Amino acid sequence: FVSYQVEILDWETKKQLCFLDKVEPNATIREIRLMFHKLYPRWYPARQSIKLDPKGKSLRDEEILQHLPVGTTATLYFKDLGPQIGWTTVFLIEYTGPLFIYFLFYFRMTFVYGLDERFTSSPHPVVNLACICHSFHYIKRLIETVFVHRFSRGTMPLRKIVKNCFYYWGFAAWLAYYINHPLYTPPSYGKKQINFAVIMFLLCEAGNFSIHAALSDLRRNGSKTRKIPYPTKNPFTWLFFFVSCPNYTYEVGTWISFTIMTQCVPVGLFTLLCFIQMTIWAKDKHCTYLREFKDYPSHRMPIIPFLL
Amino acid sequence: RRRKGPGALATGYLVIYNVVMTAGWLVIAVGLVRAYLAKGSYHSLYYSIEKPLKFFQTGALLEILHCALGIVPSSVVLTAFQVMSRVFLTWAVTHSVKEVQAEDSVLLFVVAWTITEIIRYSFYTFSLLNHLPYLIKWARYTLFIVLYPMGVSGELLTIYAALPFVRQSGLYSISLPNKYNFSFDYYTFLILVMISYIPIFPQLYFHMLHQRRKVLSHTEEHRKSE
Repeated sequence: FVSYQVEILDWETKKQLCFLDKVEPNATIREIRLMFHKLYPRWYPARQSIKLDPKGKSLRDEEILQHLPVGTTATLYFKDLGPQIGWTTVFLIEYTGPLFIYFLFYFRMTFVYGLDERFTSSPHPVVNLACICHSFHYIKRLIETVFVHRFSRGTMPLRKIVKNCFYYWGFAAWLAYYINHPLYTPPSYGKKQINFAVIMFLLCEAGNFSIHAALSDLRRNGSKTRKIPYPTKNPFTWLFFFVSCPNYTYEVGTWISFTIMTQCVPVGLFTLLCFIQMTIWAKDKHCTYLREFKDYPSHRMPIIPFLL
Repeated sequence: RRRKGPGALATGYLVIYNVVMTAGWLVIAVGLVRAYLAKGSYHSLYYSIEKPLKFFQTGALLEILHCALGIVPSSVVLTAFQVMSRVFLTWAVTHSVKEVQAEDSVLLFVVAWTITEIIRYSFYTFSLLNHLPYLIKWARYTLFIVLYPMGVSGELLTIYAALPFVRQSGLYSISLPNKYNFSFDYYTFLILVMISYIPIFPQLYFHMLHQRRKVLSHTEEHRKSE
C-alpha cells in the first residue's frame, strides 16, 4: 500500500496552489476536488478544472488517481472555470422566459400594441391555437427538465446564460409580436393548413418526448456514462434506426409545423436557426458516439435520415 | 483537426486572384485621378468608377469561399462579416439610394477602400510568392491608422445622408398586414447599423494596432539578429 502525494499547480503561472499528502491510490478526482475546495472555499468543485496537462482536457470526477499516468507524486493543474450554474437551473430560466413573454403579447399588454388594442383578443382561432401550442411546448420542456433529463455534466459557465436568454427570450418576443398582432393575417390555405400543422406538431412533440424518455432510461441507475441508444417498442423511437439524435429531428419538426401553422416569417427564421444549431449539436454528438463505440451502427446519420 | 494549407494549385489560383484584385483597385484609383483632373473638382467622382467599384468589391465575396475551403487561414465568420459590410454599403446604400451618389462622403470611403485594397491584395500576392517587401508590410500595418477612421467616417456619413430618402420612399421596407406576417423598416435598420459601428469599430481598430506591434516588432528582431 503506497500512499500518493498530489500537488496542484495553477495552469498558467505554474505556482503551487496546494500539496496533498497521504492521498489514497484509489481516490477519485471528485475527492481531490473536495479537498481542494476545503483549502480554497470560493472555488467550489464545479468550478475546478483539474487536468494532467496545463492545456489539456479536464479530468472527470470518476477518474481514479492510481489509474492515471502519474507517479506516486502526482502533478495536476488547476484552471478556474468561472462561476457555474446548474443545467437544471439554466433550462428552467431559459424556458420559463418564452412561456411568459408569449403571454404578454397574447393578452396584448398595454405597452405592446398600444393603448387602443390593450387586452383585446384576436378574431382568428389559429392565434389561440398557436398560443396553446407554444405554451404546451415550453411547459413540456420544463417538465422534462425537472423529471426526465439526466445530465452528464452538472454545470455550465454563468456568462453563457445571459447570451442564451437574450437569444431565446428575444426570439420568443419577436415571433409572439407578429402572431398576436392586431394586423395578423391567418394562413393562406386556411383550415387545411392549420389542421395539417397541428397534427404534425402533436406527432413531433410525442416523438421528442419519447426520445427524451428513452435516453433517460439509459441512465436509469444514476450512472453518468454514455450508452448507445436503440429503438424500443415505442414506434416514435424507431427513428433511432436512421439517426443519432432523433430528439433534435423531432424538435425541428415541431418548429416547422409551428411555422406552417402561423405562416409567419420570424417563426420560419427561428426554425432555420434552430435547425442550424441542432445540426451542429447532432454532428458533435454523432462524432462522440463514433469515437467512443467501435460497434456503433454505421448507417446512422446525425440528424436527418440518409442526408445529414 | 488540422487546417489544410493551400496546395500548389490553390496557391496558383490565389496568386491570380490577388493579382487581378490588385489590378482592379488600381484601375479604380487611376479612374479617380483621371476624373479629378478632367473635371477639375473632387465632387461627384463616384460616377466615373461606379462599375469597376461594384465589380471588384462584389468579387471579394470569393474570399469567404476561400476561407470556407480552407485555402486561406482566416475565420469564415470574420471574413464574411467584413466582406458583407462592404458589399452592403456598395449595393444596399450607395447603389440603391441614388441621391447619395453625389455626396462627398462617398469619395471619402471610396478613396480609403481603394488605397487599403491595393496594399492588402499586393500584400497577399507577395506573401504567397514568399517575397514580401518590407514596404508593403509596413504600409499594410501602418496606413490603416488613417485610412480606417477615414473609411468609417465616409461610410457613416453616407448612411446618414441616405436616411431621409429611405424614409420618404419606403425603400426595402414592408409593413403589416401581409400574408407573411412580417414587417421590416429599412430606416430603423440603417440607424441600428450606424449604432453598431460604436462597439465594432474600436475593437477592430485596436486589434489592428495590436497586430501592428506584433508584426512590425517581430520583423525588427529578425533584422537585428541577421
